[in-house]
Amino acid sequence: MLKKIWKILEQSIHEIYNHNTRGLSFEELYRNAYNMVLHKFGEKLYSGLVSTMTSHLKEIALSIEASQGALFLEELDRKWTEHNKALQMIRDILMYMDRTFIPSTHRTPVHELGLNLWRDNIVHTVKIQVRLKDTLLELVQKERGGEVINRGLMRNIVKMLMDLGSSVYQEDFEKPFLAVSADFYRGESQLFIESCDCGNYLKKAEKRLNEEIERVAHYLDARSEVKITNVVEKEMIESQMTRLVQMENSGLVNMLVDDKYEDLGRMYNLFRRVPNGLTSIRDVMTVHLRETGRHLVSDGERLKDPVDFVQRLLHIKDKHDKIINLAFNNDKMFQNALNSSFEYFINLNTRSPEFISLFVDDKLRKGLKGVSEEDVEIVLDKVMMLFRYLQEKDVFEKYYKQHLAKRLLSAKSVSEDAERSLILKLKTECGYQFTSKLEGMFTDMKTSDDTMQGFYAAMGHELGDGPALAVHVLTTGSWPTQSTTTCNLPPEILTVCNKFKTYYLGTHSGRRLTWQTNMGSADIKATFGRAKHELNVSTYQMCVLMLFNNGDGLSYREVEQATEIPTSDLKRCLQSLACAKGKNVLRKEPMSKDIGEDDTFFFNDKFSSKFYKVKIGTVVAQKESEPEKQETRQRVEEDRKPQIEAAIVRIMKARRVLDHNNIVAEVTKQLQTRFLPNPVVIKKRIESLIEREFLERDKDDRKLYRYLA
Amino acid sequence: MIDPEGIEYLCSDLEVEHTDVRILMLAWKMQAEKQGYFTLEEWRKGLKALRADTIVKLKKALPELENEVRRPSNYVDFYSYAFRYCLTEEKQKSIDIESICELLELVLGSQYHQQVDMFIQYLKTQIDYKVINMDQWMGFYRFCNEISFPDFNNYDEELAWPLILDNFVEWVKSKQS
Repeated sequence: MLKKIWKILEQSIHEIYNHNTRGLSFEELYRNAYNMVLHKFGEKLYSGLVSTMTSHLKEIALSIEASQGALFLEELDRKWTEHNKALQMIRDILMYMDRTFIPSTHRTPVHELGLNLWRDNIVHTVKIQVRLKDTLLELVQKERGGEVINRGLMRNIVKMLMDLGSSVYQEDFEKPFLAVSADFYRGESQLFIESCDCGNYLKKAEKRLNEEIERVAHYLDARSEVKITNVVEKEMIESQMTRLVQMENSGLVNMLVDDKYEDLGRMYNLFRRVPNGLTSIRDVMTVHLRETGRHLVSDGERLKDPVDFVQRLLHIKDKHDKIINLAFNNDKMFQNALNSSFEYFINLNTRSPEFISLFVDDKLRKGLKGVSEEDVEIVLDKVMMLFRYLQEKDVFEKYYKQHLAKRLLSAKSVSEDAERSLILKLKTECGYQFTSKLEGMFTDMKTSDDTMQGFYAAMGHELGDGPALAVHVLTTGSWPTQSTTTCNLPPEILTVCNKFKTYYLGTHSGRRLTWQTNMGSADIKATFGRAKHELNVSTYQMCVLMLFNNGDGLSYREVEQATEIPTSDLKRCLQSLACAKGKNVLRKEPMSKDIGEDDTFFFNDKFSSKFYKVKIGTVVAQKESEPEKQETRQRVEEDRKPQIEAAIVRIMKARRVLDHNNIVAEVTKQLQTRFLPNPVVIKKRIESLIEREFLERDKDDRKLYRYLA
Repeated sequence: MIDPEGIEYLCSDLEVEHTDVRILMLAWKMQAEKQGYFTLEEWRKGLKALRADTIVKLKKALPELENEVRRPSNYVDFYSYAFRYCLTEEKQKSIDIESICELLELVLGSQYHQQVDMFIQYLKTQIDYKVINMDQWMGFYRFCNEISFPDFNNYDEELAWPLILDNFVEWVKSKQS
């Protein structure tokens, strides 16, 4: 009986495999299988299934092996599909066994059994296994070579491998696939690196990478994507990274110089995939920036024009900001590299603080004339950006103050709003102390206006036809320190000045006024032959010119004696009056360029100008001469000493006991918003404080200092 | 009160030069405040400590005094005393280079001959410092004690050594090269 049942089932399996399912009755077969299991013949059923299926599969294997060429995969695919259909039917028929006998005996379920048998009898046979792998890899290579392949077929075969188990997929396909790909891309990279420039290489690498990603999406297991992209990244990018970046005429530096945003963006996107990719870009960029900056700040020609110098700094910053924005995804790592490079080379030039202030001066004098409020803010923000890079912010403060004073006093500022806006930005950046004196300067200007009004209201009748006076009263602490100089004012000027002094001190007793003759200006009407002109001159120049109302052909010494103006100032003054083209209101004998102490000066009644008003005054902020620069530098160093001492005392008061290195570190940290203190200077200040008994050395441990309350 | 003249007599009685370091040691023992003078109080105190009541006994006590002073525990005290003893004016805090050189020779000359010679040479040639203060004075003693000479291998200028010693070491090194 049993034999008969089994025979029926066996036959049905044959029919299924031979596609003769029409004549089969599902119920009957199911029932037969059910009965076998029920009557404890599950074992027979199971082993029968195994052997029947196996023999069919062996036949199928032969058929596949016999296929030629391209038909190999097609045949495999077809037979696989059929097998799955058959398997499904068989499983349905044997479902009772699947649910009862198999679990209780821990046998492999029918479906899985079917897959395993396929694997063992088809895919892993000697003849098929290698041929399958080779065929698949060959097709991939063809596709990489540009040929079109049957992707659908590939997908099916790959899916088959995946269905047979992830280890089958990996061992039979993925591992060899990755190995072959590595060799292939290694070759590609060698080929391209010799024949392409950097930009083109990257294009090719990107193309290949995208190809692989697409390949995976179309016919491989999704988990292979990261593995194959790693291979491409390693072989095409990582291995050639350094060579690419440093490639002559087309590498990173060239791309930066030529603003090749697309190429740079591609490089960024590719390099970020590999370890140290971005850091290698950053490092080369940093070196390049530092070199460029260093070149700029040491270029003697460039340094002759401070405004141009700063303009170039801004240009470099803008250029690289744009690159980081457009190509490097605003990556902070690159922003930091740009910032640190700027900080490095701006501070290489000790005159940077002065030059930046001169740039600001130029903008606030004329550069920003007629510019919208928004655009003014943009320029000022750029100035602040440069300011932040300065290590010696206190030097900037000194120059800024000097230049601001000149602007205010000569009323040459383009916009008070712009001035105030910048001061506010400096205050936000550096604190109240930095700007309080600057604000004092503005206050003085306003107050002086009121004072002048009061003066003329009160004394107007007395002054009559005398020279009109405009006085700015400057509070000593707020304005840059000027050494007072001697200068004899012409009598009519002296008179009105004294009248003012009397008036002012009348309302402000307890104050002392000193005329700053080196900072004033005057408008003088002069007649040259028949031409009349109004000359705008400095106070010194006025004093000299007025002498010629009472005499002509004055020697240098006579002028010197009469005016008592200091020598270097006097010489500069006479030079501007007698030697400057188009402004020579005086004539000099001999006609040499420099002022000699034996020269004689004459009123030049042949002077002419097409303008009625002629400006000869020189109160414009200029780049300092060498001796002036030394003097300013010295004053800055002197100012720093008390600041360093204050910092030391503050720190020691809080910490009570501290060792030398830590004091130096703390002091540096505290002062870093203003300047970088020299450790030797710090040591000197500590010793000075020891001498003045603010600190002492610890008696037991001589490395420590102690605060003395 | 014994005045400078009196001290000179004392020296000749003791058969010691008045520039001899032992006179300074005697002053230390007495804790004499003013250079060139011994008050009665100081004199009495010193002699009592030395257990001497005659010139002969005093003379005999000198070698023992010297040993006492040269003991490491006392020497620091003596060394700093020597500096203070030379401050003649009330608010004076430093001593001129010339006097310092003499004092160094007197007080450290025998013990740290090489260092003292070098340092004196340095002091006489440099122009940054015109006077030396107590801190620098004491620093030099510590320097002689701790720093190997003349290689300065264990000298670290980033520590709290007085600046003058940083400059001294630099000066010696540049001379050596």
